[in-house]
Amino acid sequence: MNTEQTWRYNVLGSLFALMAMLITARMVRIQTNPQAVDLFTKARSYYEGEWHTFYPARGQVFDRWGQLLAGNTMVYEVGVELESLKNPHTVALTLNVVLGLDYASTLQEISQPASANAVYVVLDDNVPQDKIEQLEKFQTNIELSYNDARGKDIPSLDGLIWRAHFQRTYPEKALASNILGFVGRDEDGKIKGYFGIEAKFDDLLAGEPVTVWVPRDPNRVAETPEIPDGASLVLTIDREIQVNMEAILDETLEESGAESGTIVVLDPRSGEVLAMATTPRLDLNRYWDYGEVFKKDTPFNRAVSQAYEPGSVYKVLTMAAALDKGAVKPDTVFLDTGVFEIGGIYIYNWNSGAWGPQDMQGCMQHSLNVCLAWVASQLGARDFYAYMRAFGIGHLTGIDLAGEMPGRLKVPGDADWYDSDLGTNAFGQGVSATPLQMAVAAAALANDGKMMAPRIVRSMVKDGRQYNTSPRLIGMPIKAETARTLSELLTRSLEDEASTALVDGYRIAGKTGTAEIPTPYGYTSNLTNASFVGWGPVDDPRFLVYIWLEKPQSSMWGSEVAAPVFREVVEHLVVLMNIPPDDVRHSLYGQ
Amino acid sequence: MNHVRSLTQAYSQAPWRRQMQLIGLFLLVLVLVAVVVGIYLNVTARAATIGRQILYMQADIENLELINTDLNTKLGVLTSAAEMEKRALEMGFQPIERDQALYIVVPGYPGRKQPILAPEPTPVIAISASLPPAFTESLLDWLWQRAAMISRLAAGDRP
Repeated sequence: MNTEQTWRYNVLGSLFALMAMLITARMVRIQTNPQAVDLFTKARSYYEGEWHTFYPARGQVFDRWGQLLAGNTMVYEVGVELESLKNPHTVALTLNVVLGLDYASTLQEISQPASANAVYVVLDDNVPQDKIEQLEKFQTNIELSYNDARGKDIPSLDGLIWRAHFQRTYPEKALASNILGFVGRDEDGKIKGYFGIEAKFDDLLAGEPVTVWVPRDPNRVAETPEIPDGASLVLTIDREIQVNMEAILDETLEESGAESGTIVVLDPRSGEVLAMATTPRLDLNRYWDYGEVFKKDTPFNRAVSQAYEPGSVYKVLTMAAALDKGAVKPDTVFLDTGVFEIGGIYIYNWNSGAWGPQDMQGCMQHSLNVCLAWVASQLGARDFYAYMRAFGIGHLTGIDLAGEMPGRLKVPGDADWYDSDLGTNAFGQGVSATPLQMAVAAAALANDGKMMAPRIVRSMVKDGRQYNTSPRLIGMPIKAETARTLSELLTRSLEDEASTALVDGYRIAGKTGTAEIPTPYGYTSNLTNASFVGWGPVDDPRFLVYIWLEKPQSSMWGSEVAAPVFREVVEHLVVLMNIPPDDVRHSLYGQ
Repeated sequence: MNHVRSLTQAYSQAPWRRQMQLIGLFLLVLVLVAVVVGIYLNVTARAATIGRQILYMQADIENLELINTDLNTKLGVLTSAAEMEKRALEMGFQPIERDQALYIVVPGYPGRKQPILAPEPTPVIAISASLPPAFTESLLDWLWQRAAMISRLAAGDRP
């Protein structure tokens, strides 16, 4: 190696050594510079992964035969990632065309520069799948058309993104809406169930969100945890019966001019609610219309949330108590003079007439206030109120629905109870109860004195297992013999009266009710609450129906507006529940 | 003989031969390092590819679950009461009246059954500790037991 070559090699070696030193120095600087360290930490944490919260799908709700009443639909949130946004005009224009968003306001929202406080802008939510498909087409076409183009104002949808999530959907729209309730967002933007089943079982239906670390580094990929969906519920409601009850109710309201109405159908043997129709109803897919549909203090579900003075249907409870205690017998004769004095007030009949000697069937058949006030006086206040409490009046029934009200039963000892209340309470005045409370109490009469807890949830499906609920006995306010005696008495009173509630081929027990509506000045209004409670077939009760029509206009009498509705309800029920006429049933099953 | 020995010594001590040995050693290390790096890169690249595929699959699963739930609800809409009534009327069906029904007993027919959406819960059976002691006892426990067994045998106990 000559001297000239040695010099060259030395220069080259020095250059390489210098470069190595510079690189090393730079590396040391980067490793120790606080800003660079911060940058690297951020970059590393971004590329390592992120904490992701998985929200389980909200549990579904089915009717008793598995028909979907509440489910989930996939919808999208559309937004813009400001950092990736290339052409705000294209994005604003596209969203104007596809989603109908205002071009100017969209452009203004997305034109802000990206910063630590402005990373992502939500532009629309609950966008359906077909709109997203249109956006995808736009995106593809723009990419194909301007892929090779260079320049500042090249059309681009870069930065526009959409994310799928679930939205609560009710396939039956307004059907059973008063039972189901709906899902909205609270003040903090969190998803929350309102009213009915959605509120009562909100936690159960919503499930447990799980937050896990999701690595972006493919070498550190981990198994995504299994997030179980929220629990699904199978209700006791029969969709077909519910459809029919709501149709009958709507038709009745139109014909009678009543302000509102409620029909409750129970299985008295199990306490299962087969249908609960009331007004008004809301298309649950448009829950934001709530304020328009439910004006002022209108309860969401009158069947459980609105107590009212039931009037003469209450007489079945008074008579049941008196018969059970032995205060009267079915053949006890009462001489109706048309007036009865109790606690310093006078009780009159609905027609202010005197009906002469009447046995207990006559008292019920003609719905004599005077007679029932006398019956209650024979029973005595202590026993009367003990029986009423046993029937659950004044207490919550405990049904699995949000917003239940207990009604009011004044009892001796209360500041506002007077001796005269015994007389008025006997025929359903001065006492308030919800339609469901009345139905549950009357169901004890249909079920040999056994009062079952009302149920609306039949099964729960959680973590892949189905848990069925069981009928629950909540009391036996009267003896079985009393219940059968009263059922027979009410059946004969309907038959002797040739009531419009009767259905050919079926023996039915029932009682009408017409109640005056209290005002701040007493019972001064001409408007009434018309009711009917009935059950059948009497020898093997499969259904109990409670009807309440608020302030009917066509007639003020329960026997004229509510009884025919009962007949129509039963005519549908016997078909939907496969209940043959009594003679056919006896011949088929030997009963 | 001395001539041969001197030639051998000269050959073995030749400068170029020592250089060749050093170069050979360097190359050997280089090749070994290259092989290790190559294997490492290969395995890492494959793991990364598979990891990425898993991430995509997880995203696919999440998406498919969304689609499944969505389809279930669409099915619910298609079989809703209003839709079914409309379709039934279009097909010429009429709602039955009470007096049109004919009731017959079908032997063996149990009636309409409640839907079973999932199996019923099975009773929880308490599982007793079934792991052999070898998986649970410590080395000291084992030694202690052996010692105790030997002492029992020495004392004349039957195993």
